Amino acid sequence: MTLLRLLTWPYVRKHRLRSVLTLAGIMLGVAVFVGMHGANQTVAQAFAATVNRIAGKAQLQVSAGETGVPEEVLEAVQSVREVGAAAPVIEAVLNTNLKGQGNLLVLGVDMTGDRSLRDYDIEGGEEDVVEDPLVFLAQPDSLILSRKFAEANGIQRGSRITLDTMQGPRQFTVRGLMKSDGLAGAFGGNVAVMDIYAAQFIFGRGRRFDRIDIGAAEGVDLETSQNKVRAVVGEGYDVLPPASRTQQFDAISRSLSITINLTSVFALMIGVFIIYNSFSIAITQRRNEIGILRALGASERDVLRMFLAESAAAGLAGSILGLGLGLLMARSLSPFMSNMVRELYGTHQMPDGVSMSPWTMAAAVALGTAVSLVGGWLPARSAARVDPVKALQKGRYQVLSEGENRIRRIAALVLAAVSIAIVVTRPTLTIFYFGYGLMVLALVLLSPSLSHWIALSLRPLLRLIRPVEGTLAADSLIQAPRRTSATVAAVMLSLALAVGFAGVSRAIYTQLLDWVDDTLNPDLFVAPTESVTQRSYRFPLSMTSEIAQVPGVEEVQAVRTVRVQLKGVPAMAVVVDVRQVAGRVKYKPVDADPVEMVQLASEGKGAILSTTLAVIRGIKKGDVLELASPEGILKVPVLGTRVDFSDQQGAFIIDRSLYSRVWKDETANAFRVYLRKGEDPEAVRRRIIERFSSNRKLFVFTNASIRELIMRNTEQWFGMTYIQLLVALIVAVMGIVNTMTVSIADRRRELGVLQAVGGLRNQIRNTVWLEAVAIGTVGLVLGWLMGAVTLYYNIEMIGGDMAGLDLDYVYPFRFALALFPVIVGAAFLAALWPAEAALRASLVESLEYE
Amino acid sequence: MNRWIIPALAAIAATAQDARQIVDEAQKRARSNSQHYEGTLQVLDGKNRMAEKRWQYDRIGAFGDSKAVLRFTAPAEVKGVALLIHNHKDRASDQWMWTPAIQRDRRIALQDRSTRFFGTDFSFEDLEERDSAHHDYKLLGEETVEGAVCWKLESQPRPGRSSQYTRSLVWIRKDLYAFVRVEAFRKDALVRRIRYGDFENVKGIWTARTLEVEDVTRKSKTVMKLDKLDYNVPLSESGFTLQALRRGS
Repeated sequence: MTLLRLLTWPYVRKHRLRSVLTLAGIMLGVAVFVGMHGANQTVAQAFAATVNRIAGKAQLQVSAGETGVPEEVLEAVQSVREVGAAAPVIEAVLNTNLKGQGNLLVLGVDMTGDRSLRDYDIEGGEEDVVEDPLVFLAQPDSLILSRKFAEANGIQRGSRITLDTMQGPRQFTVRGLMKSDGLAGAFGGNVAVMDIYAAQFIFGRGRRFDRIDIGAAEGVDLETSQNKVRAVVGEGYDVLPPASRTQQFDAISRSLSITINLTSVFALMIGVFIIYNSFSIAITQRRNEIGILRALGASERDVLRMFLAESAAAGLAGSILGLGLGLLMARSLSPFMSNMVRELYGTHQMPDGVSMSPWTMAAAVALGTAVSLVGGWLPARSAARVDPVKALQKGRYQVLSEGENRIRRIAALVLAAVSIAIVVTRPTLTIFYFGYGLMVLALVLLSPSLSHWIALSLRPLLRLIRPVEGTLAADSLIQAPRRTSATVAAVMLSLALAVGFAGVSRAIYTQLLDWVDDTLNPDLFVAPTESVTQRSYRFPLSMTSEIAQVPGVEEVQAVRTVRVQLKGVPAMAVVVDVRQVAGRVKYKPVDADPVEMVQLASEGKGAILSTTLAVIRGIKKGDVLELASPEGILKVPVLGTRVDFSDQQGAFIIDRSLYSRVWKDETANAFRVYLRKGEDPEAVRRRIIERFSSNRKLFVFTNASIRELIMRNTEQWFGMTYIQLLVALIVAVMGIVNTMTVSIADRRRELGVLQAVGGLRNQIRNTVWLEAVAIGTVGLVLGWLMGAVTLYYNIEMIGGDMAGLDLDYVYPFRFALALFPVIVGAAFLAALWPAEAALRASLVESLEYE
Repeated sequence: MNRWIIPALAAIAATAQDARQIVDEAQKRARSNSQHYEGTLQVLDGKNRMAEKRWQYDRIGAFGDSKAVLRFTAPAEVKGVALLIHNHKDRASDQWMWTPAIQRDRRIALQDRSTRFFGTDFSFEDLEERDSAHHDYKLLGEETVEGAVCWKLESQPRPGRSSQYTRSLVWIRKDLYAFVRVEAFRKDALVRRIRYGDFENVKGIWTARTLEVEDVTRKSKTVMKLDKLDYNVPLSESGFTLQALRRGS
C-alpha cells in the first residue's frame, strides 16, 4: 500500500493521459461486453416479462409450436380433474396507427372464465374492468385497453380506435380499461384484450387457439396435473410451464447470442493487450525507480505485488466506468436489437429501459479486473525480475533479445503446428475451437517478429517519402519492438476480427443472393404484414383461387411458414405444394437426387431439410424427423438437404397435403404470385390490392421490394461488423496515442539533438506522424494476415456449428483495402497530440535527458 | 328464473327429517314440466349506475333433469345473445353461449361457473337447476321475514358436489312453501343475498315475480322482474339443442 501511495500515485498524476488510456482500454472491453449482453438481456427480459405477465397465474401451457391448438383440445383439458382452470389464449401484435405508439399486443381470452387465471382489475373489485361484460362479448369490436396506453393517447371508455386487422383497418370500441400493473404491464403497457372468438375471426385462426393456459386444481401438485394433461392431449402437444417460452426464445436466437459472445470475448482480449501495452510502457519508464527500490531492499515479490495491485486497481476502476458506459450502450442498442430480433425471429417484446442481471454486471466487473490482471501479469513479472544494477543503467531496454525472439517463434510454430493438426484431424468441435485459440496465440507470439520484418520492409518506403524523418521513424520502430508490439497486436486482433466477420458476411451474402435468385423468383408476393417474419395474421387458403382470378395472374402458390416442435425445440416448417413450387424453383439438394426428392416430398412422404437445420440438429438424409403433431409424434423421413435461408435456425419443407391432413390447418402466411408474360407487375399489384381492399388487409410486394426487404434484414444483422470495426478503430487510436507518447518520451534526447542540429519543427512532427502511421500500417498488414486465418475458422464455425452453411472462402479484399485509409487516418489522428507534445518539450531538458 | 335459482342456492339434502320434508315439499309445490317468462334485469353498480336488459326464458323438464334457453332481446347491442343450459341429476350442468355477431357458440367451462353472469350479480352457477338431493341441510328454527313466518334452514353441498358456496341460509314461508330469502356464504363470509317478493299464484304455483340479488362484496344489486310468466306450456325438446341455439329459434 505504501509503495502504491509513494510510487504509483505520483506516476499516475504525472502521466494523466496514459492513465486515462489504460482505464479506457478496460473500459472499452467491459463497455462492449456490458453493452452487447445488456441489450441482449434487455430484449430477452422484455420477452420474459411479457410472457410472465400474460401468463398470470397459469402454471402450465398447452401448445403446439405455432400450429395452434384445436378447440376440442380445450374441452379435453378442462375435463381433467387435476386441472383447476384452463383458458384459451390467442396472442397477436397489431399496428396501432398511432404516432409514436408502435405496436399493440392483443390478447384474445375467454372473458367468461379467464379471470381465474389473470388479473384484469383492481383487487377488491371496487371498479369493473368492463362496464357491461355482456356487451363486451356480444360485440366483436370490443376491446379492453391498459390504462397506461389509453391515457397516453387520450382514449377513454367508449372511444373508438382503428387497428389493422386481417379484414383491413377496423374500428374497435374501448369497452374497458385495465389498471397498469399485472397483465396490463406486459409489452411495455401496450396491451389490449379482446374476446377469444372475436380474435379467432380477426386474426384468421379458424377454430384454433394459440395455446391453453392452465392452473392446477386446488391441492394438486404441478407434476401430477402436467402428467394428467399430457396423457389426455398426447405427445403432439407441449405441456410446459410458461417459462419454457423464454427457453424457446433462447433457442431461436442462438446465433445472436453466439455472435454477441464472440464480440465480447474479442473486446476483452483487446483490453488485455491495451493493459499489457500500458504496463509495459509504464515499467519501461519506471525502471530506474524499480532499480532503486530493489537496491533499497524491496523483494521481487514486493515489486510484483505493487504492479499487480496497480493493474487490479486500474482494472476495477476501468470496469466500473465501463459498466456505466456499457449500460448507456445497452440502452441505445436494445431498441435496435429488439427490432432485429422481431424481424429475424418473429417474436415480440418491447424493451423499457435496461434490464441486466446483477450477476452479469458483477461478472463484467470481475472479468474486467481479471483481464487487467492478465494484461498486467507479464509486465509485472518482468518488472519484478529487473536486475537492480542493469535497471539503474541507461540502456536499450526496448530491444528484444534474439534469444527471446527465437523462443517466441519456436513456441508460435509449435502452437500453430498443433492447431493445424487439429484442423486436419478435427476430432470434436470443442477441440476445433481450442485449436482456433492456439492459432490466435501463435500469431500473437509471432507478431513481434512479423512486426520487425514488416517494419524493415517499410523502411525504404518511409525513407522515400521523407529521407530523414522516414528513416528515424522506421528505425525507432525496428529498434524498439517491445514498445510497439502490444499496440500492433491489439490492432492486429481487432482488425482480424473485423476482416473475418466481413468475409463471412460476404460469403453468406453471396449464398443468400443465390438462394434469393433460385427460390424467391415469383413476380409478386402477397403477405398480411409488412414484415416477412411476422406470423400473427394468416390468410385462408381459399384466397389462392381468388388471387388467381385477378387479371394478369398466371399462377399462385400458397406458403405456410410455421414453427413446430422438433424434439422439443421449435423448427420452422415451410409448407407448400412441393410439385407446384418445383415447377418454378430448381431444388438443388447437396446429397440427394432432386427428381426423386421432389417426387417423394410432393407425395407427403418426407421432408426437405435446410443444411442449417441438418447441422444444428445433427440430422442427415435418411434420418427421421420426429415432429409434434395433433396425431402425436409424426415421423417424417429426411429426403435430402439444401441451402435454405427461410429461418436462421434452419427450416424444412413439407407438402401441403401432409400438413393439411395432420394439422388440419387451411391457412397461409403468404402467396407467391407468377404473372402472365408481358404483364406489368406494378399494374397487377394494384389490381390485387384493389380486389381485396374492402375485406382484407394485405401487402403486395414486387420481387425487387421483397429482395430489398430481405437484404435490409440481413444488413441489419451484419451491422455488427460496424460495431467491431468501431472497436478496432478505438483500439488503434488508443494504442497508438499511448505508444507514441512513450516513444516521444523515450526519444526526447534524439528529438532534442535533431532540433539542436537545425531540424525544423515540421521534421519533428513528420517523424512522429510517420512512426504512428507505420505502427498503424504494421498492425493493418498483420490484421490482414490474421484476418485470413480468422476467416477460415469463422467459415468452419458457421459451417460446422452455427448455421450449417457450406460457405466459399473468399477473402474480402475490398473491405481489407478500405481499412487502409481508415487505419492510416486513425493513426495520423492519434499522432497529432503526441507530435505537438514533442515540440513543446524544452530543448535543454531534452538534451540533458538520460 | 327463480325456479332454478332457488334450488341452486338452497337445495337441501336431509340430515334432519323435518328439514328434508320442508324442502321436498317446497320442491314438489314448485314443480312444473315447463316454464316461460319474459324478464327484465336491472343492474345497479356500487355507484348507483343502472343498466337494464330484457330476455325471454324457456324451460323444459324440472329439477336436475331440465333444459333451458335464455335469449336476450334488449338492448340492441346484446339482442340475440343466448344461453343454453342442460341440467343433469348427477353432475354440474352444461352451458353454452351463442354470440350472433360472430356466429359462434362457446361452452362455459365448469371452472367458470363461479364468475358473474354477464355483469349481473348472479353467477353462472346460480343459473343451474339442482335437485335438493345435492345438498345436506338442517333446520335452525323459525323467523319472521317481511311479516311472514318462515323456517330458517342451513344447507351445505354434499361431499363430491362442487359449489362456490360453502353453505347457505334459507328462509321458506310456512304458508306458501316458497323461498323468501337466501344468504350464501363462501367460507365464513357472506357473499350473496337474494330477496323474493311480489308473490303470485300462477297455475297453482306460488312464484316470486321480483328477485333482488345483492353482491355483498361489490355492494351492487340486480333486480329481476318476471312478466308473462306461465307454466306447463307446450315446448319441444328440439328447441333446446345447440343447433336450435345457432338458428336463433
